[in-house]
Amino acid sequence: MDIVTSSIAQGLLWSVMAIGVYLTFRILDIADMTAEGSFPLGAAITAHAIVSGTGPIVATLMGFVGGAAAGAVSGFLTTKLHIPDLLTGILTMTGLYSVNLFIMGKANISLIGTVKTVFNLSDSGDATTISIMVGAIVVALVIGILVFFFHTEMGLAAAAVGNNQDMAAANGINNDAMKIIIYMLSNGLIALSGSLMAQTNGYADLSMGIGTIVIALAAIIISEILVRGVPLWARLLMIIVGAVIYRLIIAVVLDMGVDPNYLRFFYALMLTVFLSLPLLKKKLFQLKVRHGNRRPVKQRQTTISKAADTMPVSPMEQQKEVR
Amino acid sequence: MAVLEVHGLHQYFEQGTVNENHALKGIDLSLERGEFVAIIGGNGAGKSTLLNSIAGTLPVNQGQILIDGKDVTYQNVAKRAKLIARVFQDPRSGTASLLTIEQNLALAEKRGEWRNFWASGVKRRDRQHFQEKLATLGLGLEKRLGAEMGLLSGGQRQAVTLLMATLKKPALLLLDEHTAALDPQTSATVMALTDQMVRAQKITTLMITHNMASALKYGDRLIMLDHGEIAVDVRGEAKQNLTVEDLLTLFKERSGQEFADDAVLLS
Repeated sequence: MDIVTSSIAQGLLWSVMAIGVYLTFRILDIADMTAEGSFPLGAAITAHAIVSGTGPIVATLMGFVGGAAAGAVSGFLTTKLHIPDLLTGILTMTGLYSVNLFIMGKANISLIGTVKTVFNLSDSGDATTISIMVGAIVVALVIGILVFFFHTEMGLAAAAVGNNQDMAAANGINNDAMKIIIYMLSNGLIALSGSLMAQTNGYADLSMGIGTIVIALAAIIISEILVRGVPLWARLLMIIVGAVIYRLIIAVVLDMGVDPNYLRFFYALMLTVFLSLPLLKKKLFQLKVRHGNRRPVKQRQTTISKAADTMPVSPMEQQKEVR
Repeated sequence: MAVLEVHGLHQYFEQGTVNENHALKGIDLSLERGEFVAIIGGNGAGKSTLLNSIAGTLPVNQGQILIDGKDVTYQNVAKRAKLIARVFQDPRSGTASLLTIEQNLALAEKRGEWRNFWASGVKRRDRQHFQEKLATLGLGLEKRLGAEMGLLSGGQRQAVTLLMATLKKPALLLLDEHTAALDPQTSATVMALTDQMVRAQKITTLMITHNMASALKYGDRLIMLDHGEIAVDVRGEAKQNLTVEDLLTLFKERSGQEFADDAVLLS
Protein backbone atom coordinates (compact mmCIF):
# COMPACT_ATOMS: atom_id res chain seq x y z
CA MET A 1 0.00 0.00 0.00
CA ASP A 2 2.87 2.29 0.85
CA ILE A 3 4.30 1.76 -2.62
CA VAL A 4 1.00 2.72 -4.22
CA THR A 5 0.47 5.96 -2.31
CA SER A 6 4.06 7.09 -2.76
CA SER A 7 3.81 6.25 -6.48
CA ILE A 8 0.66 8.37 -6.75
CA ALA A 9 2.38 11.24 -4.97
CA GLN A 10 5.44 11.02 -7.23
CA GLY A 11 3.36 10.40 -10.34
CA LEU A 12 1.28 13.53 -9.79
CA LEU A 13 4.38 15.72 -9.61
CA TRP A 14 5.98 14.02 -12.63
CA SER A 15 2.75 14.36 -14.61
CA VAL A 16 3.15 18.15 -14.51
CA MET A 17 6.41 17.66 -16.40
CA ALA A 18 4.87 15.05 -18.70
CA ILE A 19 2.06 17.45 -19.62
CA GLY A 20 4.68 20.09 -20.38
CA VAL A 21 6.58 17.70 -22.62
CA TYR A 22 3.30 16.64 -24.24
CA LEU A 23 2.76 20.20 -25.54
CA THR A 24 5.92 20.18 -27.63
CA PHE A 25 6.03 16.45 -28.32
CA ARG A 26 2.46 15.91 -29.48
CA ILE A 27 1.08 19.35 -30.35
CA LEU A 28 4.18 20.67 -32.14
CA ASP A 29 5.63 17.22 -32.95
CA ILE A 30 9.06 18.15 -31.54
CA ALA A 31 11.17 16.24 -29.03
CA ASP A 32 12.36 19.27 -27.10
CA MET A 33 15.50 18.53 -25.10
CA THR A 34 15.28 21.92 -23.36
CA ALA A 35 13.27 19.97 -20.76
CA GLU A 36 16.41 18.52 -19.17
CA GLY A 37 17.67 22.05 -18.53
CA SER A 38 14.44 23.75 -17.54
CA PHE A 39 13.56 21.03 -15.01
CA PRO A 40 16.61 21.77 -12.79
CA LEU A 41 16.21 25.48 -13.64
CA GLY A 42 12.82 25.50 -11.92
CA ALA A 43 14.33 23.63 -8.97
CA ALA A 44 17.30 26.01 -8.78
CA ILE A 45 15.23 29.19 -8.91
CA THR A 46 12.75 27.96 -6.31
CA ALA A 47 15.41 26.56 -3.98
CA HIS A 48 17.46 29.73 -4.13
CA ALA A 49 14.38 31.90 -3.61
CA ILE A 50 13.15 29.85 -0.64
CA VAL A 51 16.56 29.83 1.01
CA SER A 52 16.75 33.62 0.52
CA GLY A 53 13.44 33.98 2.35
CA THR A 54 10.84 34.20 -0.42
CA GLY A 55 7.45 32.61 0.26
CA PRO A 56 7.16 29.08 -1.18
CA ILE A 57 4.20 29.82 -3.49
CA VAL A 58 5.88 32.86 -5.00
CA ALA A 59 9.14 30.90 -5.26
CA THR A 60 7.32 28.11 -7.13
CA LEU A 61 5.76 30.59 -9.55
CA MET A 62 9.19 32.12 -10.12
CA GLY A 63 10.37 28.67 -11.15
CA PHE A 64 7.56 28.50 -13.71
CA VAL A 65 8.47 31.91 -15.14
CA GLY A 66 12.14 30.92 -15.37
CA GLY A 67 11.22 27.81 -17.35
CA ALA A 68 9.02 29.85 -19.67
CA ALA A 69 11.98 32.14 -20.35
CA ALA A 70 14.14 29.12 -21.21
CA GLY A 71 11.37 27.95 -23.54
CA ALA A 72 11.29 31.35 -25.20
CA VAL A 73 15.02 31.04 -25.94
CA SER A 74 14.58 27.62 -27.56
CA GLY A 75 11.54 28.84 -29.47
CA PHE A 76 13.47 31.83 -30.75
CA LEU A 77 16.45 29.71 -31.83
CA THR A 78 14.33 27.29 -33.83
CA THR A 79 11.80 29.70 -35.40
CA LYS A 80 13.87 32.83 -35.99
CA LEU A 81 17.35 31.36 -36.49
CA HIS A 82 16.08 28.15 -38.15
CA ILE A 83 18.27 25.88 -36.01
CA PRO A 84 16.85 22.31 -36.14
CA ASP A 85 14.60 21.73 -33.13
CA LEU A 86 16.58 18.81 -31.68
CA LEU A 87 19.79 20.88 -31.72
CA THR A 88 17.97 23.90 -30.28
CA GLY A 89 17.02 21.87 -27.24
CA ILE A 90 20.55 20.57 -26.78
CA LEU A 91 21.97 24.10 -27.08
CA THR A 92 19.60 25.60 -24.52
CA MET A 93 20.02 22.62 -22.20
CA THR A 94 23.82 22.95 -22.31
CA GLY A 95 23.68 26.67 -21.68
CA LEU A 96 21.22 26.21 -18.82
CA TYR A 97 23.69 24.01 -16.93
CA SER A 98 25.87 27.07 -16.32
CA VAL A 99 22.84 29.27 -15.67
CA ASN A 100 21.61 26.82 -13.03
CA LEU A 101 25.03 26.70 -11.38
CA PHE A 102 25.09 30.50 -11.37
CA ILE A 103 21.66 30.68 -9.73
CA MET A 104 22.45 28.08 -7.05
CA GLY A 105 26.04 29.17 -6.50
CA LYS A 106 26.93 25.52 -5.76
CA ALA A 107 25.97 22.09 -7.05
CA ASN A 108 23.35 21.38 -4.39
CA ILE A 109 20.98 23.37 -2.19
CA SER A 110 19.32 21.61 0.72
CA LEU A 111 15.76 22.50 1.67
CA ILE A 112 15.60 20.18 4.65
CA GLY A 113 15.09 21.70 8.07
CA THR A 114 13.06 24.71 9.02
CA VAL A 115 12.50 26.17 5.56
CA LYS A 116 8.93 26.59 4.36
CA THR A 117 7.95 24.73 1.16
CA VAL A 118 4.56 24.29 -0.48
CA PHE A 119 4.47 20.86 1.15
CA ASN A 120 4.71 22.00 4.76
CA LEU A 121 2.53 25.09 4.65
CA SER A 122 0.02 23.27 6.88
CA ASP A 123 1.37 21.22 9.78
CA SER A 124 -1.27 18.50 9.87
CA GLY A 125 -1.20 15.22 7.95
CA ASP A 126 1.66 12.96 6.91
CA ALA A 127 4.09 13.86 4.14
CA THR A 128 2.65 11.55 1.45
CA THR A 129 -0.94 12.75 1.93
CA ILE A 130 0.08 16.39 1.71
CA SER A 131 2.22 15.63 -1.31
CA ILE A 132 -0.75 14.00 -3.07
CA MET A 133 -3.01 16.93 -2.17
CA VAL A 134 -0.59 19.59 -3.39
CA GLY A 135 0.15 17.58 -6.54
CA ALA A 136 -3.56 17.10 -7.26
CA ILE A 137 -4.31 20.81 -6.85
CA VAL A 138 -1.43 21.82 -9.14
CA VAL A 139 -2.30 19.23 -11.82
CA ALA A 140 -5.98 20.18 -11.70
CA LEU A 141 -5.07 23.85 -12.18
CA VAL A 142 -2.66 23.04 -15.02
CA ILE A 143 -5.13 20.83 -16.91
CA GLY A 144 -7.95 23.32 -16.35
CA ILE A 145 -5.90 26.21 -17.73
CA LEU A 146 -4.59 24.21 -20.70
CA VAL A 147 -8.03 22.90 -21.70
CA PHE A 148 -9.38 26.45 -21.46
CA PHE A 149 -6.47 27.81 -23.49
CA PHE A 150 -6.84 25.31 -26.32
CA HIS A 151 -10.48 26.28 -26.69
CA THR A 152 -9.77 29.99 -27.06
CA GLU A 153 -9.12 31.73 -30.37
CA MET A 154 -5.39 31.74 -29.75
CA GLY A 155 -5.32 28.16 -28.48
CA LEU A 156 -7.14 26.97 -31.57
CA ALA A 157 -4.57 28.81 -33.69
CA ALA A 158 -1.76 27.11 -31.75
CA ALA A 159 -3.33 23.70 -32.34
CA ALA A 160 -3.63 24.51 -36.05
CA VAL A 161 0.07 25.41 -36.21
CA GLY A 162 0.98 22.03 -34.77
CA ASN A 163 -1.30 20.31 -37.25
CA ASN A 164 -0.84 22.14 -40.57
CA GLN A 165 1.49 25.11 -40.90
CA ASP A 166 0.47 25.91 -44.48
CA MET A 167 -3.16 26.16 -43.48
CA ALA A 168 -2.28 28.21 -40.40
CA ALA A 169 -0.24 30.72 -42.42
CA ALA A 170 -2.91 30.95 -45.12
CA ASN A 171 -5.36 31.96 -42.40
CA GLY A 172 -3.07 34.67 -41.09
CA ILE A 173 -1.69 32.79 -38.08
CA ASN A 174 1.87 33.71 -37.14
CA ASN A 175 3.46 30.25 -36.96
CA ASP A 176 6.61 31.46 -35.20
CA ALA A 177 4.77 33.34 -32.46
CA MET A 178 2.47 30.40 -31.75
CA LYS A 179 5.41 27.98 -31.58
CA ILE A 180 7.23 30.24 -29.13
CA ILE A 181 4.09 30.44 -26.95
CA ILE A 182 3.85 26.64 -26.85
CA TYR A 183 7.58 26.35 -26.09
CA MET A 184 7.14 28.80 -23.19
CA LEU A 185 4.09 27.02 -21.76
CA SER A 186 5.79 23.66 -22.10
CA ASN A 187 9.04 24.61 -20.40
CA GLY A 188 7.22 26.65 -17.78
CA LEU A 189 5.35 23.51 -16.73
CA ILE A 190 8.53 21.43 -16.81
CA ALA A 191 10.26 23.96 -14.53
CA LEU A 192 7.19 23.97 -12.28
CA SER A 193 7.54 20.21 -11.95
CA GLY A 194 11.25 20.60 -11.13
CA SER A 195 10.42 23.21 -8.54
CA LEU A 196 7.86 20.94 -6.84
CA MET A 197 10.23 17.98 -7.02
CA ALA A 198 13.00 19.95 -5.28
CA GLN A 199 10.59 20.93 -2.51
CA THR A 200 9.27 17.43 -1.93
CA ASN A 201 12.71 15.77 -2.11
CA GLY A 202 14.25 18.44 0.09
CA TYR A 203 17.03 19.52 -2.25
CA ALA A 204 17.81 21.03 -5.64
CA ASP A 205 20.66 19.41 -7.51
CA LEU A 206 22.49 20.50 -10.61
CA SER A 207 22.23 17.05 -12.21
CA MET A 208 18.58 16.33 -11.35
CA GLY A 209 17.48 16.99 -14.93
CA ILE A 210 19.40 14.12 -16.50
CA GLY A 211 17.04 11.51 -17.91
CA THR A 212 13.88 13.39 -16.95
CA ILE A 213 12.62 13.73 -20.53
CA VAL A 214 12.68 9.93 -20.78
CA ILE A 215 10.45 9.67 -17.68
CA ALA A 216 8.04 12.25 -19.11
CA LEU A 217 7.90 10.57 -22.52
CA ALA A 218 7.29 7.19 -20.89
CA ALA A 219 4.30 8.62 -19.00
CA ILE A 220 2.91 10.05 -22.27
CA ILE A 221 3.41 6.81 -24.20
CA ILE A 222 1.81 4.69 -21.45
CA SER A 223 -1.20 7.02 -21.44
CA GLU A 224 -1.50 6.67 -25.20
CA ILE A 225 -1.32 2.89 -25.01
CA LEU A 226 -4.23 3.01 -22.56
CA VAL A 227 -6.56 5.27 -24.57
CA ARG A 228 -6.63 6.76 -28.06
CA GLY A 229 -8.80 9.29 -29.87
CA VAL A 230 -10.24 11.00 -26.80
CA PRO A 231 -10.63 14.77 -26.19
CA LEU A 232 -7.73 16.84 -24.88
CA TRP A 233 -8.88 16.93 -21.25
CA ALA A 234 -9.10 13.14 -21.18
CA ARG A 235 -5.69 12.78 -22.79
CA LEU A 236 -4.16 15.09 -20.18
CA LEU A 237 -5.87 13.19 -17.37
CA MET A 238 -4.55 9.91 -18.76
CA ILE A 239 -1.02 11.32 -18.61
CA ILE A 240 -1.40 11.42 -14.82
CA VAL A 241 -2.38 7.75 -14.88
CA GLY A 242 0.60 7.06 -17.15
CA ALA A 243 2.98 8.84 -14.78
CA VAL A 244 1.62 6.97 -11.75
CA ILE A 245 1.91 3.59 -13.52
CA TYR A 246 5.47 4.44 -14.49
CA ARG A 247 6.38 5.31 -10.90
CA LEU A 248 4.79 2.04 -9.78
CA ILE A 249 6.92 0.06 -12.20
CA ILE A 250 10.03 1.88 -10.96
CA ALA A 251 9.01 1.24 -7.35
CA VAL A 252 8.64 -2.46 -8.09
CA VAL A 253 12.04 -2.53 -9.82
CA LEU A 254 13.61 -0.87 -6.77
CA ASP A 255 11.78 -3.26 -4.49
CA MET A 256 13.37 -6.15 -6.34
CA GLY A 257 16.70 -4.90 -5.07
CA VAL A 258 18.07 -3.05 -8.10
CA ASP A 259 20.71 -0.48 -7.18
CA PRO A 260 19.07 3.00 -7.50
CA ASN A 261 22.25 4.23 -9.19
CA TYR A 262 21.50 2.00 -12.18
CA LEU A 263 17.91 3.18 -12.48
CA ARG A 264 18.47 5.29 -15.59
CA PHE A 265 19.25 2.15 -17.53
CA PHE A 266 15.75 0.95 -16.70
CA TYR A 267 14.28 4.34 -17.69
CA ALA A 268 15.86 3.98 -21.12
CA LEU A 269 15.03 0.28 -21.46
CA MET A 270 11.39 0.78 -20.54
CA LEU A 271 10.85 3.72 -22.87
CA THR A 272 12.38 1.65 -25.67
CA VAL A 273 9.89 -1.11 -24.95
CA PHE A 274 6.94 1.30 -24.77
CA LEU A 275 7.92 3.05 -27.98
CA SER A 276 8.26 -0.22 -29.89
CA LEU A 277 5.05 -1.70 -28.46
CA PRO A 278 2.74 -0.40 -31.25
CA LEU A 279 5.02 -1.96 -33.88
CA LEU A 280 5.26 -5.27 -32.02
CA LYS A 281 1.47 -5.33 -31.70
CA LYS A 282 1.11 -4.74 -35.44
CA LYS A 283 3.63 -7.46 -36.31
CA LEU A 284 1.86 -9.91 -34.04
CA PHE A 285 -1.46 -9.07 -35.67
CA GLN A 286 0.00 -9.55 -39.17
CA LEU A 287 1.48 -12.86 -38.12
CA LYS A 288 -1.97 -14.03 -37.00
CA VAL A 289 -3.55 -12.87 -40.25
CA ARG A 290 -0.92 -14.67 -42.32
CA HIS A 291 -1.33 -17.81 -40.27
CA GLY A 292 -5.10 -17.64 -40.77
CA ASN A 293 -4.70 -17.21 -44.52
CA ARG A 294 -2.31 -20.12 -44.90
CA ARG A 295 -4.72 -22.75 -43.59
CA PRO A 296 -7.21 -22.89 -46.53
CA VAL A 297 -4.32 -23.17 -49.01
CA LYS A 298 -2.90 -26.11 -47.11
CA GLN A 299 -6.29 -27.81 -47.09
CA ARG A 300 -6.61 -27.44 -50.84
CA GLN A 301 -3.17 -28.92 -51.36
CA THR A 302 -3.99 -31.94 -49.21
CA THR A 303 -7.25 -32.58 -51.10
CA ILE A 304 -5.39 -32.45 -54.40
CA SER A 305 -2.76 -34.91 -53.23
CA LYS A 306 -5.50 -37.14 -51.78
CA ALA A 307 -7.29 -37.13 -55.14
CA ALA A 308 -4.03 -38.09 -56.81
CA ASP A 309 -3.64 -41.00 -54.42
CA THR A 310 -7.01 -42.50 -55.33
CA MET A 311 -6.38 -42.34 -59.10
CA PRO A 312 -5.47 -45.68 -60.61
CA VAL A 313 -2.72 -44.11 -62.68
CA SER A 314 -0.87 -41.01 -61.48
CA PRO A 315 -1.56 -37.82 -63.54
CA MET A 316 2.00 -37.84 -64.85
CA GLU A 317 1.65 -41.37 -66.16
CA GLN A 318 -1.68 -40.50 -67.81
CA GLN A 319 0.03 -37.77 -69.78
CA LYS A 320 2.61 -40.23 -71.06
CA GLU A 321 -0.07 -42.67 -72.22
CA VAL A 322 -1.84 -40.00 -74.26
CA ARG A 323 1.37 -39.27 -76.08
CA MET B 1 -9.55 50.36 -59.22
CA ALA B 2 -7.60 47.23 -59.80
CA VAL B 3 -7.66 44.75 -56.92
CA LEU B 4 -4.46 42.97 -57.93
CA GLU B 5 -1.60 44.65 -59.77
CA VAL B 6 1.54 42.78 -60.77
CA HIS B 7 4.29 44.92 -62.26
CA GLY B 8 7.31 43.48 -64.10
CA LEU B 9 7.46 40.30 -62.07
CA HIS B 10 10.56 38.20 -62.67
CA GLN B 11 11.30 34.94 -60.85
CA TYR B 12 14.48 32.91 -61.15
CA PHE B 13 15.29 29.53 -59.69
CA GLU B 14 18.91 28.64 -58.93
CA GLN B 15 19.99 32.04 -60.18
CA GLY B 16 23.64 32.25 -61.16
CA THR B 17 24.10 28.50 -61.65
CA VAL B 18 24.12 26.41 -64.83
CA ASN B 19 20.65 25.19 -63.86
CA GLU B 20 19.24 28.71 -63.83
CA ASN B 21 15.57 28.73 -64.69
CA HIS B 22 13.98 32.04 -65.58
CA ALA B 23 10.46 31.02 -64.55
CA LEU B 24 8.65 34.34 -64.93
CA LYS B 25 9.84 36.88 -67.48
CA GLY B 26 8.34 40.21 -66.55
CA ILE B 27 4.67 39.51 -65.91
CA ASP B 28 2.36 42.54 -65.96
CA LEU B 29 -1.11 41.72 -64.81
CA SER B 30 -4.04 43.64 -63.40
CA LEU B 31 -7.33 42.27 -62.05
CA GLU B 32 -10.45 44.45 -61.81
CA ARG B 33 -12.79 44.20 -58.84
CA GLY B 34 -15.03 41.15 -59.08
CA GLU B 35 -13.15 39.66 -62.02
CA PHE B 36 -12.87 35.84 -62.19
CA VAL B 37 -9.70 34.98 -64.09
CA ALA B 38 -8.61 31.52 -65.17
CA ILE B 39 -4.91 31.01 -65.86
CA ILE B 40 -3.94 28.03 -67.99
CA GLY B 41 -0.64 26.66 -69.17
CA GLY B 42 1.38 23.49 -69.49
CA ASN B 43 4.02 22.17 -67.14
CA GLY B 44 6.71 24.75 -66.54
CA ALA B 45 4.67 27.59 -68.01
CA GLY B 46 5.02 29.44 -64.71
CA LYS B 47 1.45 29.41 -63.43
CA SER B 48 2.30 27.96 -60.02
CA THR B 49 5.27 30.30 -59.71
CA LEU B 50 2.97 33.25 -60.42
CA LEU B 51 0.38 32.10 -57.90
CA ASN B 52 2.97 31.39 -55.21
CA SER B 53 4.53 34.82 -55.77
CA ILE B 54 1.16 36.48 -55.26
CA ALA B 55 0.35 34.30 -52.24
CA GLY B 56 3.70 35.09 -50.64
CA THR B 57 5.12 31.56 -50.42
CA LEU B 58 7.81 32.46 -52.95
CA PRO B 59 10.00 35.53 -52.33
CA VAL B 60 9.91 37.95 -55.27
CA ASN B 61 13.18 38.33 -57.21
CA GLN B 62 12.18 41.41 -59.13
CA GLY B 63 8.98 43.37 -59.61
CA GLN B 64 6.11 44.58 -57.50
CA ILE B 65 2.80 43.16 -56.29
CA LEU B 66 -0.04 45.37 -55.08
CA ILE B 67 -3.33 44.22 -53.61
CA ASP B 68 -6.08 46.78 -53.05
CA GLY B 69 -3.47 49.45 -53.72
CA LYS B 70 -1.18 48.19 -50.92
CA ASP B 71 2.33 47.03 -51.74
CA VAL B 72 2.57 43.46 -50.42
CA THR B 73 5.72 42.46 -52.33
CA TYR B 74 7.72 41.84 -49.16
CA GLN B 75 4.94 40.73 -46.81
CA ASN B 76 4.87 37.14 -45.59
CA VAL B 77 1.99 34.72 -46.14
CA ALA B 78 0.37 35.36 -42.76
CA LYS B 79 0.39 39.15 -43.28
CA ARG B 80 -1.14 38.84 -46.74
CA ALA B 81 -3.91 36.65 -45.31
CA LYS B 82 -5.73 39.87 -44.39
CA LEU B 83 -6.33 40.32 -48.13
CA ILE B 84 -5.87 36.89 -49.69
CA ALA B 85 -7.64 33.57 -49.22
CA ARG B 86 -6.26 30.45 -50.82
CA VAL B 87 -7.45 26.97 -51.77
CA PHE B 88 -4.62 24.50 -52.31
CA GLN B 89 -4.30 21.69 -54.81
CA ASP B 90 -3.87 19.07 -52.11
CA PRO B 91 -7.16 18.73 -50.18
CA ARG B 92 -5.13 18.01 -47.04
CA SER B 93 -3.32 21.35 -47.20
CA GLY B 94 -6.26 23.67 -46.74
CA THR B 95 -7.60 22.31 -43.47
CA ALA B 96 -6.27 21.13 -40.12
CA SER B 97 -7.10 17.41 -40.13
CA LEU B 98 -6.94 16.88 -36.37
CA LEU B 99 -9.35 19.74 -35.63
CA THR B 100 -13.10 19.53 -36.06
CA ILE B 101 -15.08 21.06 -38.92
CA GLU B 102 -16.38 23.86 -36.71
CA GLN B 103 -12.90 24.60 -35.35
CA ASN B 104 -11.54 24.87 -38.88
CA LEU B 105 -14.35 27.22 -39.84
CA ALA B 106 -13.82 29.30 -36.70
CA LEU B 107 -10.12 29.62 -37.56
CA ALA B 108 -10.97 30.75 -41.08
CA GLU B 109 -13.57 33.23 -39.89
CA LYS B 110 -10.82 35.20 -38.16
CA ARG B 111 -8.42 35.07 -41.10
CA GLY B 112 -5.88 37.85 -40.78
CA GLU B 113 -7.33 39.11 -37.49
CA TRP B 114 -5.90 39.22 -33.98
CA ARG B 115 -6.77 36.12 -31.95
CA ASN B 116 -7.03 36.59 -28.19
CA PHE B 117 -6.62 34.09 -25.37
CA TRP B 118 -9.81 34.76 -23.45
CA ALA B 119 -12.61 34.52 -26.02
CA SER B 120 -13.89 31.08 -26.91
CA GLY B 121 -12.53 29.79 -30.22
CA VAL B 122 -15.85 28.43 -31.46
CA LYS B 123 -18.63 30.70 -30.23
CA ARG B 124 -22.20 29.53 -29.74
CA ARG B 125 -23.61 32.07 -32.19
CA ASP B 126 -21.06 30.91 -34.80
CA ARG B 127 -22.46 27.39 -34.87
CA GLN B 128 -25.81 28.47 -36.30
CA HIS B 129 -24.00 30.51 -38.94
CA PHE B 130 -21.65 27.63 -39.79
CA GLN B 131 -24.55 25.21 -40.15
CA GLU B 132 -26.32 27.51 -42.59
CA LYS B 133 -23.15 27.92 -44.64
CA LEU B 134 -22.37 24.20 -44.63
CA ALA B 135 -25.92 23.46 -45.76
CA THR B 136 -25.25 25.45 -48.95
CA LEU B 137 -22.61 22.86 -49.89
CA GLY B 138 -25.31 20.20 -50.04
CA LEU B 139 -23.04 17.52 -48.55
CA GLY B 140 -24.90 17.02 -45.28
CA LEU B 141 -21.93 18.37 -43.34
CA GLU B 142 -24.14 20.75 -41.34
CA LYS B 143 -24.97 17.80 -39.09
CA ARG B 144 -21.31 16.96 -38.51
CA LEU B 145 -19.89 20.17 -37.00
CA GLY B 146 -17.96 18.21 -34.37
CA ALA B 147 -16.46 15.67 -36.77
CA GLU B 148 -12.71 15.62 -37.24
CA MET B 149 -11.67 17.12 -40.56
CA GLY B 150 -9.42 14.14 -41.32
CA LEU B 151 -12.46 11.86 -41.55
CA LEU B 152 -13.81 13.69 -44.61
CA SER B 153 -13.17 12.69 -48.21
CA GLY B 154 -10.96 14.78 -50.49
CA GLY B 155 -13.94 16.36 -52.23
CA GLN B 156 -15.66 17.21 -48.96
CA ARG B 157 -12.48 18.70 -47.57
CA GLN B 158 -11.98 20.80 -50.67
CA ALA B 159 -15.57 22.05 -50.46
CA VAL B 160 -15.05 23.00 -46.81
CA THR B 161 -11.75 24.72 -47.68
CA LEU B 162 -13.61 26.71 -50.30
CA LEU B 163 -16.19 27.68 -47.71
CA MET B 164 -13.41 28.65 -45.29
CA ALA B 165 -11.79 30.84 -47.93
CA THR B 166 -15.02 32.74 -48.55
CA LEU B 167 -16.42 32.78 -45.00
CA LYS B 168 -14.78 36.15 -44.53
CA LYS B 169 -14.80 37.78 -47.97
CA PRO B 170 -11.21 38.16 -49.18
CA ALA B 171 -10.02 40.96 -51.46
CA LEU B 172 -8.49 38.26 -53.65
CA LEU B 173 -9.20 34.55 -53.83
CA LEU B 174 -6.43 32.26 -55.13
CA LEU B 175 -7.39 28.84 -56.44
CA ASP B 176 -4.33 26.66 -56.94
CA GLU B 177 -5.48 23.84 -59.30
CA HIS B 178 -7.93 23.12 -56.53
CA THR B 179 -9.80 20.36 -58.37
CA ALA B 180 -6.77 18.60 -59.89
CA ALA B 181 -6.47 16.01 -57.12
CA LEU B 182 -10.15 15.00 -57.25
CA ASP B 183 -11.91 12.40 -59.39
CA PRO B 184 -13.66 13.84 -62.50
CA GLN B 185 -17.16 13.88 -61.04
CA THR B 186 -16.18 15.42 -57.69
CA SER B 187 -13.97 17.83 -59.58
CA ALA B 188 -16.98 19.03 -61.60
CA THR B 189 -19.09 19.40 -58.45
CA VAL B 190 -16.43 21.41 -56.64
CA MET B 191 -15.87 23.56 -59.74
CA ALA B 192 -19.61 24.36 -59.97
CA LEU B 193 -19.63 25.16 -56.26
CA THR B 194 -16.65 27.46 -56.74
CA ASP B 195 -18.40 29.36 -59.51
CA GLN B 196 -21.54 29.72 -57.43
CA MET B 197 -19.64 31.07 -54.39
CA VAL B 198 -17.46 33.43 -56.37
CA ARG B 199 -20.48 34.85 -58.24
CA ALA B 200 -22.66 35.17 -55.15
CA GLN B 201 -20.12 37.33 -53.31
CA LYS B 202 -18.53 38.88 -56.42
CA ILE B 203 -15.07 37.85 -55.24
CA THR B 204 -12.05 38.82 -57.31
CA THR B 205 -10.58 35.43 -58.16
CA LEU B 206 -7.44 34.09 -59.75
CA MET B 207 -7.68 30.41 -60.62
CA ILE B 208 -4.88 28.39 -62.14
CA THR B 209 -5.79 25.16 -63.83
CA HIS B 210 -4.50 22.36 -65.97
CA ASN B 211 -7.96 21.78 -67.31
CA MET B 212 -8.74 23.62 -70.55
CA ALA B 213 -12.44 22.77 -70.42
CA SER B 214 -13.01 24.37 -67.02
CA ALA B 215 -10.87 27.37 -67.98
CA LEU B 216 -13.16 27.89 -70.98
CA LYS B 217 -16.37 27.20 -69.10
CA TYR B 218 -15.72 29.28 -65.98
CA GLY B 219 -14.47 32.80 -65.41
CA ASP B 220 -14.77 36.04 -67.33
CA ARG B 221 -11.20 36.17 -68.49
CA LEU B 222 -8.68 33.59 -69.66
CA ILE B 223 -4.93 33.98 -69.55
CA MET B 224 -2.58 31.47 -71.11
CA LEU B 225 1.00 31.38 -69.88
CA ASP B 226 3.90 30.06 -71.91
CA HIS B 227 7.51 29.88 -70.75
CA GLY B 228 6.98 32.55 -68.12
CA GLU B 229 5.16 35.00 -70.36
CA ILE B 230 1.52 35.81 -70.99
CA ALA B 231 0.77 34.31 -74.43
CA VAL B 232 -3.00 34.80 -74.58
CA ASP B 233 -5.29 37.16 -72.64
CA VAL B 234 -8.97 37.06 -73.63
CA ARG B 235 -11.87 38.69 -71.81
CA GLY B 236 -15.46 39.80 -72.15
CA GLU B 237 -17.58 38.47 -74.98
CA ALA B 238 -14.59 37.07 -76.81
CA LYS B 239 -13.90 34.85 -73.79
CA GLN B 240 -17.51 33.65 -73.55
CA ASN B 241 -17.47 32.46 -77.17
CA LEU B 242 -14.01 30.98 -77.05
CA THR B 243 -13.52 27.35 -78.11
CA VAL B 244 -10.57 25.01 -77.80
CA GLU B 245 -9.73 25.49 -81.51
CA ASP B 246 -9.82 29.31 -81.13
CA LEU B 247 -7.52 29.09 -78.17
CA LEU B 248 -5.00 26.88 -79.96
CA THR B 249 -5.03 29.19 -83.00
CA LEU B 250 -4.54 32.23 -80.78
CA PHE B 251 -1.72 30.52 -79.00
CA LYS B 252 0.01 29.68 -82.27
CA GLU B 253 -0.34 33.24 -83.56
CA ARG B 254 1.09 34.81 -80.42
CA SER B 255 3.83 32.41 -79.48
CA GLY B 256 4.73 31.21 -82.97
CA GLN B 257 4.50 27.53 -82.12
CA GLU B 258 1.96 24.73 -81.75
CA PHE B 259 0.60 24.18 -78.33
CA ALA B 260 1.56 20.66 -77.41
CA ASP B 261 0.89 19.52 -73.89
CA ASP B 262 -1.19 16.40 -73.66
CA ALA B 263 -1.92 16.95 -69.98
CA VAL B 264 -3.76 20.15 -70.87
CA LEU B 265 -5.34 19.09 -74.17
CA LEU B 266 -6.67 15.78 -72.96
CA SER B 267 -8.05 16.92 -69.62
